[in-house]
Amino acid sequence: MPVLEKVVTWARIKSPWILHFNSGACNACDIEIIAALTPRYDIERFGIVLKATPRHADVLVCSGPVTHQIKDRLIRIYEQMPEPKFVVAVGTCACSGGVFKGCYNVSEGVDSVIPVSAYIPGCPASPAAIIDGVAKLLGSLKQS
Amino acid sequence: MTDTIQEEQAVQSELTAKFPALGGAIRIQRSRRIFARIPHEQFHDCFDYLVKDMKFNILTVITGTDEGESLGVMYHLSRESRIVLSLFTTVPKQNPVIQTVTPYFPAADAYERELVDLLGFQVQGLPPGFRYPLTDDWPAGQYPLRKDWKPSPAAPPTQAEKNEVKDV
Amino acid sequence: MFEKPVQVPIGPQHPALKEPEGFIITLSGERIMRAGVRLGYNHRGIEKACEERTYIQAIYLIERICGICSHSHATCFCQTVEEIAGLQIPKRAAYLRTLIAELERVHSHLLWLGVAGHEIGFDTLLMYTWRDREIVMDLLALISGNRVNYAMNTIGGVRRDITPDQIQQVLKGVDALEERTKYYITVATDEITLIKRLSGVGLLSHDDAIRLGAVGPTARASAVAHDVRRDDPYAAYEEVSFKVVTDNHDDVYGRTLVRVGELMESYSIIRQILKDLPDGPIAVKAPRKIPAGEAVGRYEAPRGEDLHYVRANGTEKPDRVKVRAPTLANVQAVAHMLKDRYLADLPIVVAAIDPCFSCTDRLITVEDPDRRTPGVMTWPQLRQYSLDWHRRRGVDFTHLNKTFRTDKTR
Repeated sequence: MPVLEKVVTWARIKSPWILHFNSGACNACDIEIIAALTPRYDIERFGIVLKATPRHADVLVCSGPVTHQIKDRLIRIYEQMPEPKFVVAVGTCACSGGVFKGCYNVSEGVDSVIPVSAYIPGCPASPAAIIDGVAKLLGSLKQS
Repeated sequence: MTDTIQEEQAVQSELTAKFPALGGAIRIQRSRRIFARIPHEQFHDCFDYLVKDMKFNILTVITGTDEGESLGVMYHLSRESRIVLSLFTTVPKQNPVIQTVTPYFPAADAYERELVDLLGFQVQGLPPGFRYPLTDDWPAGQYPLRKDWKPSPAAPPTQAEKNEVKDV
Repeated sequence: MFEKPVQVPIGPQHPALKEPEGFIITLSGERIMRAGVRLGYNHRGIEKACEERTYIQAIYLIERICGICSHSHATCFCQTVEEIAGLQIPKRAAYLRTLIAELERVHSHLLWLGVAGHEIGFDTLLMYTWRDREIVMDLLALISGNRVNYAMNTIGGVRRDITPDQIQQVLKGVDALEERTKYYITVATDEITLIKRLSGVGLLSHDDAIRLGAVGPTARASAVAHDVRRDDPYAAYEEVSFKVVTDNHDDVYGRTLVRVGELMESYSIIRQILKDLPDGPIAVKAPRKIPAGEAVGRYEAPRGEDLHYVRANGTEKPDRVKVRAPTLANVQAVAHMLKDRYLADLPIVVAAIDPCFSCTDRLITVEDPDRRTPGVMTWPQLRQYSLDWHRRRGVDFTHLNKTFRTDKTR
C-alpha cells in the first residue's frame, strides 16, 4: 500500500468507518448498534461513520453467533476489508455463542471464524456499552 | 367474548359424522382449540372436507414430530371465527411420504420444506424451490429434529448438559 | 412496453460463490418478473435446543428468537405451557404481561417508522422516531431492568412487579409519546411526498392477503380484520377495550396508517391497564415437570400472529416446541407484492412487512435475461438505486428532511 494511503488509513482509525454485520443474531444487538447512531447516543460525534461496503470499512461491528448459512459471507467480508482492520464482537452471542452455544447450525461466536479485536458482552449490549467498547478499542490503537 | 364451545361442538359433530375414524380422536381442549387425529389413509379426504366444505381456509403452520416408529405431522387450521383445529396424522418412519397441501395453501411450502429438512419427510408435489432452513451443504440423512439425532461428537455439550438442572 | 434499460449496480461478489440467503429477483428492464426469497440465515436450531432444556431454561432461548418482539415469544410460550399444566395465572400477572406487551408494540412500531423512513430517504423521520422511542426504552428498562429482552415472564406469571412510582412514570411517558405520535400521524396524512412515495406500492388485495396467509398490520391494511388480541384473547385483553385498526388501501401507505393507528390504541390500552391494575400475587407456583399434554398458543406480536405449539411428556423438558413467527407468514405475500413491480420499490415493500433486520441485510441476486451473467447487489446498493430512481421521478425527501420537526414550533 503506498505511503500516503497508509497515512490516510491510520488517520481514519481515529474516526473509523464501520461496517455493521448481523451473523444470524436475534436483532437485539443490531437495534442497539443503530440506536448508538441516533441522537440520544450519537456515536457520529466521535467521527464514527457507518459504511455500506467492506472495502471502505476499518472496523467490522458484528453481532450474532455466526450461523452456518452466514459463515462464508462473514469470512468474505472480512477478507474484503483493507488493512489495517479490526473486528468488534457485539453482544454475548458474538462473544461466545451466548444462549445458542451448542446449538446445531451455530458456531461459537465471531472469533471462531475471524479474529476479533474487542468483545462487548451484553444481551443485548447497550448503546452505552457499544460506544464504550469502540472508544476503548480506538484508545488502545492510538497507544500502539 | 364468552367461552362457550358451541361452534367447536358443531365442528366436532359434523366431522365425526363424516369421518367415523375420528370418533374418540377429536377433542375440544377449550374454547377455540380442537385437536383431532386421523389415520393417514383418510387424511386427504378429511383435509379436503375441512378446507373446502367447512371453510377452514387458513393454515397457520405445520408441525412435524418424531413419534418413534413413525413421523407425525400436524396441520394447524383456522377459519374466519379464528378457532384453531389441529389435525394430526402419522406415517411410517421407514416410508415418510406425504402429499403437499400447496394446492390449498400456496404459502405452505415453507412449512413443508421444514418437514423435509429437519425430520426427513418426503413431500410429494412440493413445488421446486430452495431448501429451508438448512444449507445446501448440510449432510444428507441428518435430520436434526429426530429424537435420536445429536450434533457431531466434535460439537460442545449443550449448556443444559453442563449445568445442573434447577429452578430459577 | 419496452423500457429503456437503467443501469442496475451489481456488486463484486459473484453469485456462483454460493450465497445461500436473500432475494432472487428476475428482472425485465426495471421491473421484477419474479421474486424469490431464500431464508434460513437466522436458523439457530432453537426448537431442538428447547427439547434439551427445562421449561424455564427454554424461556431464555425463546425470548431470543427475535430481540424486537422477545416478550411476544416468551409470553406466547408461557401461555401455552400454562394451558398444558392447567395453571391459571393471577390477574395482576395478566395485566403486567399486557402492559409490557403494549410497550413492546410501541417500541416496535416506532422502530419500524424510522426504518421505513430510512428506506425511502426520509432520514429525519428515523432520527425523530428513534429519539422518541428512547422514552419507551427507558420505561421498559425501568420496569424490567433491561432495554431489550425484558425477562418478565416465568411459567405461572411474571417475575417482577411494578411500583406506584413506576406507574406514574409510565403514564408520563405515554403522554409524551402520544403527543409525538400525533405529529407522525399528521405527516402520514398531510405530507404529499410521503403519500406519493408509499401509495400504490406493495399492493396486496384482501383476497390475496387471506389466500397467502398474511398476518398483522400487513393483512389489516388489506382490510383483513384479524387481531389475536380480540379474536383469541390472552393475558388481560378481555378486560380492556380497544379498536382493531384496519385500512383498505392495500398498500404500504395503508400499512403505515395501521401502525400509527395501533400506536394510539396501545397508549389507550396501557392507561386502562394501569388504572385498573388488580392487587395480588404476580405468579403461581408451577411444577417443574409439566404433565403430558399439548396446546396451541397465539399472540398478536407487533408484526402479526405468533403461534406456538408445545407438547409436554410429564418430564421437566418439553417434548416438542414449534414456533411460527409472524414474518414467516408474510414472506409469500411479499414475493407476490414484488411481482410486476419496479425493482426500486423492493426496499420499502419488504420493509413494510416489518421483517427482522437480518432480512434486510441480505444480498439480492439479480437475474436479467438481457444480460448473460446474473449479479449480486447488497441492500445498501439497492437502497441507493431506489433513492436515485425515485428522485429522478420527483420524489425527493431532501426538503422534508430539512424542515420536519416534532416539537411545537413547526
